[in-house]
Amino acid sequence: MSRATAEVRVGCVAYHPRIVTIWESFLEHFEARSVPTDYILYSNYERQVSALLAGDIDIAWNTNTAFVAAEQQLGGEARILGMRDLDAEFATVIVTRRGETFEDAAALAGRKLALGSRDSGHAAILPLHYLREQGLDAESACELVRFDTDLGKHGDTGDSELRVVRAVADGRADAGALGEPTLAALRGERVPAVADLEVSWRSPTYYHCNFTALPSLDDGVAQRWFDALLAMSYDDPGQRQAMDLEGVKRWLPGDRTGYSALAAAMAAGAPET
Amino acid sequence: MTARRLDAAELELGGGLEVLLVAALEGLAPGGRIEVVSPSRATALELHGWARRAGHRTVGELMPDGGPYAVVVERGPTARVLADPIGPRREPPPLRAGGEFHSADLRDGEPAPGVAGAQRGFTPVRAVAELGAPSFHWALNDRDALWADDVAELAEQATRAQWDASRDVPWAAARDLPDHMERAVAQVMTFIAQNEYAALYVPAAFLPHVNPAYAEVVMWLAGHIHDEARHIEVFTKRALIGGYAGQALASTELSLKTLLEERDFSGAALLLNVLGEGTFLDLLAFVEHHAPDAATRAAAHLAHRDEVRHVHFGISHVRRRMAGDPDQRASLVAAAERRAEKLVEMSGLSPLLGEGLTIMAAGSLQPAELAEGARAVRDLMQTMEDNRIRRLQAAGFDLATSTHLSELHTPNLM
Ligand SMILES: [Fe+2]
Ligand SMILES: [Fe+2]
Repeated sequence: MSRATAEVRVGCVAYHPRIVTIWESFLEHFEARSVPTDYILYSNYERQVSALLAGDIDIAWNTNTAFVAAEQQLGGEARILGMRDLDAEFATVIVTRRGETFEDAAALAGRKLALGSRDSGHAAILPLHYLREQGLDAESACELVRFDTDLGKHGDTGDSELRVVRAVADGRADAGALGEPTLAALRGERVPAVADLEVSWRSPTYYHCNFTALPSLDDGVAQRWFDALLAMSYDDPGQRQAMDLEGVKRWLPGDRTGYSALAAAMAAGAPET
Repeated sequence: MTARRLDAAELELGGGLEVLLVAALEGLAPGGRIEVVSPSRATALELHGWARRAGHRTVGELMPDGGPYAVVVERGPTARVLADPIGPRREPPPLRAGGEFHSADLRDGEPAPGVAGAQRGFTPVRAVAELGAPSFHWALNDRDALWADDVAELAEQATRAQWDASRDVPWAAARDLPDHMERAVAQVMTFIAQNEYAALYVPAAFLPHVNPAYAEVVMWLAGHIHDEARHIEVFTKRALIGGYAGQALASTELSLKTLLEERDFSGAALLLNVLGEGTFLDLLAFVEHHAPDAATRAAAHLAHRDEVRHVHFGISHVRRRMAGDPDQRASLVAAAERRAEKLVEMSGLSPLLGEGLTIMAAGSLQPAELAEGARAVRDLMQTMEDNRIRRLQAAGFDLATSTHLSELHTPNLM
């Protein structure tokens, strides 16, 4: 069957060439599960959200920021068709140089705080939000050192977070915020920049990416696609590589409970310009 | 569920703690828990991210002011590697006198598999392959088509017999031969070097098609190829050391090209190892005996030592192959006949080679000595034929077939 007539069109943002590898593999899985699916690449989440709202795609593989933006523009509730195990317990950490850890967020007042791309939920918007909840208005109390690389990709490339840890390591910043999985990956890959950094602060957990669909998506199609997604198995040697690249070991059902903090932060004005 | 306690002490993530954690979690069933206790608040905070990345999760923490801090990690359901377990520790392979671990003992008495999956990857002997690796498509997956009973021991000997063509030959001794002798030696050495190329390219063409399950064969072929590289080196050097060069003859090229065209491993073993290298044993012995200088003598001697091994493999393989599959006899004869048909227009030893050998055996251009040299070369041809038939019989052919095959053999010697 030609993919041009696939039943389900999934949008994803091409933040790295591996996205093609991942989706070529995923498509085989959906095809085998009799839910013929195609993927359509976008270079940024803003365009992908517009395409979803315009009906050019049925499902968008969205960051949390893109999901909240989609709901804001939709003026109502989007449908969530699953997320990674990783997305269900996402957190942001703030790292400091060895021996300079702090326990109370107030200790950051007057210090230089490095942040990732300003449209990244985990590397910029949410750390500011949670620090504010803990009584620290970092935007006025700290000197923010922002790395706004890859705007439009919501921090997916990890590039801005790498710049954050380097800035802390070499003293251009006193502390830096990044996604907890990013730090774990940098640590696991033995990246020198994090060798002498320690975690001082960890945010509450929140949800990250999800598959977003419009409420108008056919229930039957949505259900079959969702069932196929959740049937993907990390213990299947044909699927493990793509799942590793996507950072997922198990797909989970999604709901909207994990997005309230981000929705509040974005409603309050972020992302700033 | 109670959690086993793991004291991280001063260890950090990225600084060794992850090794302890993995070892502890590997020992648990999915759902099993360990309580990691650390005096470092930073390490405790970082454990959550580590656990998730490793496929586990954290299910609780205790973060009292001043520590120590505790985080409970629950083992996740996924296997890190999609492979069968390693199995219990077993009796290790035996050692021989002097504590040597021989390649022949790699499999600890178990035979190599009769057939190996064409798709399998580079999985060492007894290693457990992970699923999900890319598929390979090896062409040589049948043990009997490759094997010799002593292949491991031969590979072992090849390693032990390594030598150095730059240092182990007294090159200065070949500097000042008289002109006529040096020209003769340079021509003979050029001829031998030409043939050494084919002796390298033939096993090299098979090597990348051998299923990695047959490690002994891979090691043997690699050693064979390495030996031939040294032969190319030593005879090229000997051709040049006196200041002359030889001519690379077209008839030799023609003969060698047909050798490369043999696509069957056993066919190549017969044509190259048994017939070609076998004949070269006699040629090298002749060159060693009549060498006008110590460098030529050493080069021929060192190469001869290696060729004994190569010929031995060929005989051993062909004999085993025909014993296991009587139909192979006809196929092998057909391979020799096919090659001979391509060489019908070749007749006799190349004059240049014959003359070079004659001068070497004569030692001078004096008529009496030249006559002696010519007789020595005639004797060499006879010795080559007698020994070829003897080797073919050792490989399992009857006398009539052996004689037939010997007669089909290329006048180029290889
Ligand atoms: Fe050789
Ligand atoms: Fe050889």
